Amino acid sequence: MAVRESGRVKDAMQKRILDEDARKRRQKKALEALEQDNFHEDPHADLVMHKKAPKFQDDLKNATRNKRKTRTADYFKQRFRKNFAQLVEEDLNYNSTVPNYTTAQAPPSAFPDRHFCAVCGFPSPYTCIPCGARYCSVKCLGSHLDTRCMKWTA
Amino acid sequence: MNTQVFVLDNGAYTAKAGLATATPTVVPNCIMKAKSERRRPFIGNQIEECRDLAALYFMLPFQKGYIVNWDIQKTVWDYIFSKECCPINLSQTSITITEPPFNFSSIQEAMVEIFFEDFEVASLLRINPSTLSCYHYRHENPTAKCCIVIDVGYSFTHIVPYVNDMKIKAGIRRIDVGGKLLTNHLKEILSYRQLHVMDETYVVNQVKEDSCYVSQDFYNDMEIAKKKISENSIVKDYVLPDFTNIRRGYLTDPGTDTDSQVLRMNNERFSIPEILFHPSDVGIKQMGIPEAVMDSIKVCEEETWPHLLANIVLTGGCAKFPGFRERLLKDVRSLAPEEYKINIHLPENPITYAWEGGSLLANDSNYSSLVVKKEEYEEEGQAVCYDKFDT
Repeated sequence: MAVRESGRVKDAMQKRILDEDARKRRQKKALEALEQDNFHEDPHADLVMHKKAPKFQDDLKNATRNKRKTRTADYFKQRFRKNFAQLVEEDLNYNSTVPNYTTAQAPPSAFPDRHFCAVCGFPSPYTCIPCGARYCSVKCLGSHLDTRCMKWTA
Repeated sequence: MNTQVFVLDNGAYTAKAGLATATPTVVPNCIMKAKSERRRPFIGNQIEECRDLAALYFMLPFQKGYIVNWDIQKTVWDYIFSKECCPINLSQTSITITEPPFNFSSIQEAMVEIFFEDFEVASLLRINPSTLSCYHYRHENPTAKCCIVIDVGYSFTHIVPYVNDMKIKAGIRRIDVGGKLLTNHLKEILSYRQLHVMDETYVVNQVKEDSCYVSQDFYNDMEIAKKKISENSIVKDYVLPDFTNIRRGYLTDPGTDTDSQVLRMNNERFSIPEILFHPSDVGIKQMGIPEAVMDSIKVCEEETWPHLLANIVLTGGCAKFPGFRERLLKDVRSLAPEEYKINIHLPENPITYAWEGGSLLANDSNYSSLVVKKEEYEEEGQAVCYDKFDT
């Protein structure tokens, strides 16, 4: 025999709600995106130079410098290769004198966070229950649910 | 033999370069690749020769404000010292080059090595751009004992207090918001709300420069932006460049008849620079500039506070947003004790202010004692640089 239950409660139970960690991960990802240099691929990536093509720049360099062989840019790439995370870690381990890069960071603000609609950018009083994004009106909630809530289509 | 001084304010977005006796050339500190020009990458100002600037691909030497990609940096430096840009005889030149505060030691060593061993310069001075700005400010205002330099750059914002020309290291505050983050955020919201521009960093940066301003009353401007177009004094259309007739976009009143694509700029115009005042708006858990200024001076002795607050210097490309100085003044005023006078100096050109400081420093009688000479480097190596240069 089928168990009788409310359709509304059943719907609410099925709705996936992002937990705190997942929301933090999303936030971190969004901040990383703000640091990116490019969002598209190198337009010259598939370009192959013809072997016989004259290399004008090399000739110029050799002409202006004296006989000592100049190092190419690639040499420096090999010679000093450390990414940003490695530099910060090295700084923390070997040069722990305060103040340093890590301690100079501005501390969190004493003022409360302000909230803006994820769709239109105006001040927003409401929070989307499944994902925690902010919205300001039913219209914006609609666009949010269609495009970005729990998925990322736009 | 008299050596000349060449000042290189090596910013993450633009390098400001030139002989101390001349005017600086602003060089984009990157290599760019265009979709239309398949044959060559554009280094620095070569980009002016590129006709179609759509979907430019950037290769930057800097990451989060520090040099990481040395191959790119070396290529740009080679360009700067070449016949094309600023032809100089490096072996008879003293170079003043800037580095960000708390620069990492392996970057400092790499920089010194390249300049002495590859460029073979006669002498080198490595210095913070804020110190040059402080020198410039003190040159204009000899009575000022202290100053706070706010450098709102491409990668981040630094607040650096100086007392009697001494940098107060403990008071340096870094906010991880700069021009790059603002452009990327604008790109993100425009792409979501109107038109896909995620690949158009170069164009959106111009949109930001041409249309954004700092609001004096944020929530009031929000109310104005909500109104319909006829009563809305903020909403504008930005006509996008098409690179046949229009090379750089411009702002017009909404409804103007045009065949080109437009972006409607409404609350985007002031909510973008607002991130500098409230980084928490995009989820960065850091203070905004006015609060960080107060946090910074609290490290200094209390008797210096009135001098610091009366001499705030605003530099860096983002300082060019209209209304920046007035808003900062208003916000710092509301946070600082009322008996202190607050004065903010916005230079005529905040981008080259530090460079100009370097050019003035080159004429200082002390200049020769600040530099490391090639012979000293050859004798003592990196150690002499650690002794002489202020980290």
